Order: sequence, then structure tokens, then C-alpha cells
Amino acid sequence: MLELDAITMRFGGLTALHAMSLSVAEGETLGLVGPNGAGKTTLFNVISGVYAPSGGTIRFGGQDVGALPQWKRARVGIGRTFQIPQPMRELTVRENLRVAQRFGAGKEDPAALDEILDLLGLAHKQHADAATSLALTEQKALEVGKALAVRPRLLMLDEVLGGLEMATKRTFARTLETVRARFGLTMVIIEHDIETIKALCPRVVVLNFGQLIADGTPEAVFNDPQVIRSYTGDTPA
Amino acid sequence: MKHRMVVLVALVLAYGAVPLLLGSMDYVMSLIIAALTIGGVALAWALLGNLGGLVSFGHAAFFGVGAYTSAILVVDHHWPVLLAMVAGGVGAAVASVATMPALRLRGPYFALAILAYGHIFRILAVEATSLTGGAAGMLSIPGFPTLLGINLASKTGAYALILTIVLLFAWLYGLIRRSTYGLALRAMHDSELATRVVGVPSTHLKAAMLVISAFMTGVVGAFNAHQINFLDPEYAFASSWTVLPIAAAIFGGYRTVWGPVLGALVVFLVDQLVFKELMPSGHQLVFGVLLGGMVILGPHGLLPLLGRWSKKEASHAGA
Repeated sequence: MLELDAITMRFGGLTALHAMSLSVAEGETLGLVGPNGAGKTTLFNVISGVYAPSGGTIRFGGQDVGALPQWKRARVGIGRTFQIPQPMRELTVRENLRVAQRFGAGKEDPAALDEILDLLGLAHKQHADAATSLALTEQKALEVGKALAVRPRLLMLDEVLGGLEMATKRTFARTLETVRARFGLTMVIIEHDIETIKALCPRVVVLNFGQLIADGTPEAVFNDPQVIRSYTGDTPA
Repeated sequence: MKHRMVVLVALVLAYGAVPLLLGSMDYVMSLIIAALTIGGVALAWALLGNLGGLVSFGHAAFFGVGAYTSAILVVDHHWPVLLAMVAGGVGAAVASVATMPALRLRGPYFALAILAYGHIFRILAVEATSLTGGAAGMLSIPGFPTLLGINLASKTGAYALILTIVLLFAWLYGLIRRSTYGLALRAMHDSELATRVVGVPSTHLKAAMLVISAFMTGVVGAFNAHQINFLDPEYAFASSWTVLPIAAAIFGGYRTVWGPVLGALVVFLVDQLVFKELMPSGHQLVFGVLLGGMVILGPHGLLPLLGRWSKKEASHAGA
């Protein structure tokens, strides 16, 4: 479904992604891990069109989407969340979802919005002000809700569980699994909590200094000496 | 139901009471017409600011282009005045397309770029002598016709015309604001990234708001040209056609539909009828202090402030 070929992203003299290639199959849930500054969010930004890559190609569903502007990538089915929630601050929770659905999915469907609100436990807050009335968990749920309202085929979650308490994190992870199954999604998840990654992702890739250093099952990847070195601070040779 | 009654009473007052009570006072009617003219531009400016998230210092350009387009069509090509006024709006909308490269800029950079465009249009009006009459301007621009038995060239007629224009624009603004497009545009004001990532073509929507805002400003500019029957580039592209509407919109509440119109009426009429009488020279200083006070005490403007007061009163009455 998603094929990245030799993606490079430079910011002036800093190369955040080095000729990275990666494929994600339809229906797969992929964990994307790595130390801070490894290039995980940059990769999401490149795939979702926030950044134009310095080199390489991005194919989604067989289509080269590298030249599409950010808003068109949402319309072809790439949904994403942000590490720091980005609610549409002027609007209520439901209005946030309405805008996402109208523009991302192309038409309004109140019943579908009700289902998303129910699944994410936001139904009781649907008329609340998105900027001021939500607890952190609800803000994260709204991030996911907006991305779902677009009717994505690929959902990219950027540390959507970050900052949550362990029990909340487990509940939220189960909700994500329900959502994935209900909408038949392909998911890429950036997450630092290894247990969550193990629970949700049959496949994990590890980035370090903008390079893909491991790709495999969670057990194989988290026992890989190179991965362990990347977390303990050794730079690659 | 209550809202409809309020609207009905306001319309009766605006179309009935004002002409009946003040129609014989030419000076006051002129001031009200001028206030509504500023209000129309303030409304258009606020639409771009509120829904497009863009602060424009260049609305004088759209005002001037609208005024000249309409005047030239009537004087040189004998178009009917009211049709030419609509064409004035179209002319300003077309002119706004030339400013669209500035949409790539944000915040003060956009504001300054569009200010520069305003100067370019003024220079063009000065240099295109065969079309515009150059610096000498255009004299004897035909006034408004008589429509349905109402002489629109009279003070009362001109008042009814500019009032109708402003009401139509406010209705259109409200319509856009309540639509899903309006939701997305309001969201873009503070969270553009959040809107783009869910498929909102934010630059396209901003461009659409710029065109609509320019159209509205152009129609008001055209109205002004046929009301005063004279144009020159210094007047038509004067910075006051940008500054006064901005001040009025901020004073009244630029994030509301009616705030800019209310702001224009209060700011201009109080300045001209009260402060100018008390301080014939330098009365603008008082207005400056008033505007500063409003920004400090009620940064959202007069209309939201009045809304809060009336809510407080209602809650006290209910207690």
C-alpha cells in the first residue's frame, strides 16, 4: 500500500532522512521506533506532505503522491495525528470532525461521525470547545477522530499514547485495535513504549540518525544489538 | 423567534425610522452614508481577516479599482450605474487575483505585500491617463438613477442603497460563516496545519475569501464614486480607505459579522458629531484614545463586549 523509495530529507546541512526505503502492506500495523531525533516524525511529515522530500519517491496505493499537496494526500486516504495535538481551536469537537469529514472524505455523514465519537469515547464531549474543554486523553482521541473522519486507508499515529498514564495507555491501545479492525485500516504507529508496540504491531522498524537500522518482529528487533546500541547512545560506525 | 423579531425591528428602524426622522438633515444623512461606506469596507476587510486569517493593509486598492471601473464604464461606455457598480466589484475581484502571490506570505509579510499592491494600483491610475484622467481625475461622474420610484441620487435614496449593499454583504458573510467552508475557514484562523492535514485546501479557500472581500470592497468603492461624482487617484486609493475600516472593524469586533458595521457607525458618527464639535482640529486624537481603550478593555471589540454585558444583565435578572 505504501512504498517509500530512497527518501531523503535535508534541512540545510542536516540530513534527517538518508535514502530511506520502506514498504507497508495493506492491513498491516507497523511500529516505528527509534531514539529522539531519529527522523520518525520527519518521515510522517514527508509522507503526509508537510515537507517536500529532498529526494526519493512516495507511492501510495500504486499512485505517486510525492507531488501532491498536503490536503490532497488526506483526500487520497492518508490520515495522521500529531505528537502535540492540533485541534481546530475555534471549533467544537464535533465541528472538528465535520470539517475533516467534509473536506477529507468529500461528504458529510452524521451517522459515521456518531460512530467515531462513540468508538473514541467523545460522544459526551461532542459539543465542547475543542481548545479548552478536553483532558489530554480526549485531545489525543480527537486527534485520532479527525484522522478517522477523513476515511483514511492509512492511519499514521505519532505518539498518540505519549504522556498518558499506563492504564489509560492500555485502554487507548485497545481502542486503536478496535478502530483498526472496524475500518480495515493500515496503521503506522510511532511509540516509545515497547510493551504497547509489542501489543499492537506484528512488525517493527527502527530508525536511527535518519536511517532504517532494523525491520522485523518486535522480538527480533528489540534484541538486535544495533538497536540496543542506538538506544544506549552509541553512534553508528 | 426572538432573533427574527430583533432583525425585523432593526430593519424597520433602518429603512423606516432613520429616513423619516433624519431624512431632512442632509449633513447627518451624509455622515451616516459615509459611515456605512466605511462599514461596508470594514465588513469586507473583516471577512478576509476572520475567515481567511489574513490582515490586509491594501483594501484601498480594491476600493479604488472598483470606483474607477464603475466610473469608466458609465462615463466612457454608458453602462447603467447600478450594473456598472457590480462590474466595479468584479473589477476589484479581478485585481485581487494579481495580489494572490502574496497569499504565500503570512502575517505582517502578507499585510505589507498587499500594501505595496495598493500603491501599484494607485500609480497605475495616475499613469493610465487616457483611461482614468490621470492625476486630474474624473469629473461629473453620473450619480444614481431613480429605481422603483425612489430617487437614489437623493440623500435618503443613497442611504437606502448603501444600507441594502451592506445588508446583502452581511447576509452573504453570515451564509459563508455558517457553512462547512466557514467552519474550515474559522479553524484556519489559528490552526492552519490542522485543517490542511484533514484535506482542507487552505490556500484555495483564502484566495476565495480574498476575491469575495475584494468584490465587496469594489462595489462599495463604486458606490462612493457615483455618490460624490468625482474621482482622483489620491482620493480613490487613499490609505484612509484601509485605515478607517480596520479601526472600525477592530473597534466593533472583527470576528463577528455585525461588529465592523457597528464599529464604523459608532466610530465615525461619534467622531464627526461629538469629538469634531468639541475639538475641531485634532479630534482624531480622541478617537485614537478610544480605540486604544477598547483594545485594552475589550480586545474582541464592542459587539462581543455588549454581548457579555447583556448576558450578565440577564443572569442578574434571573438570579
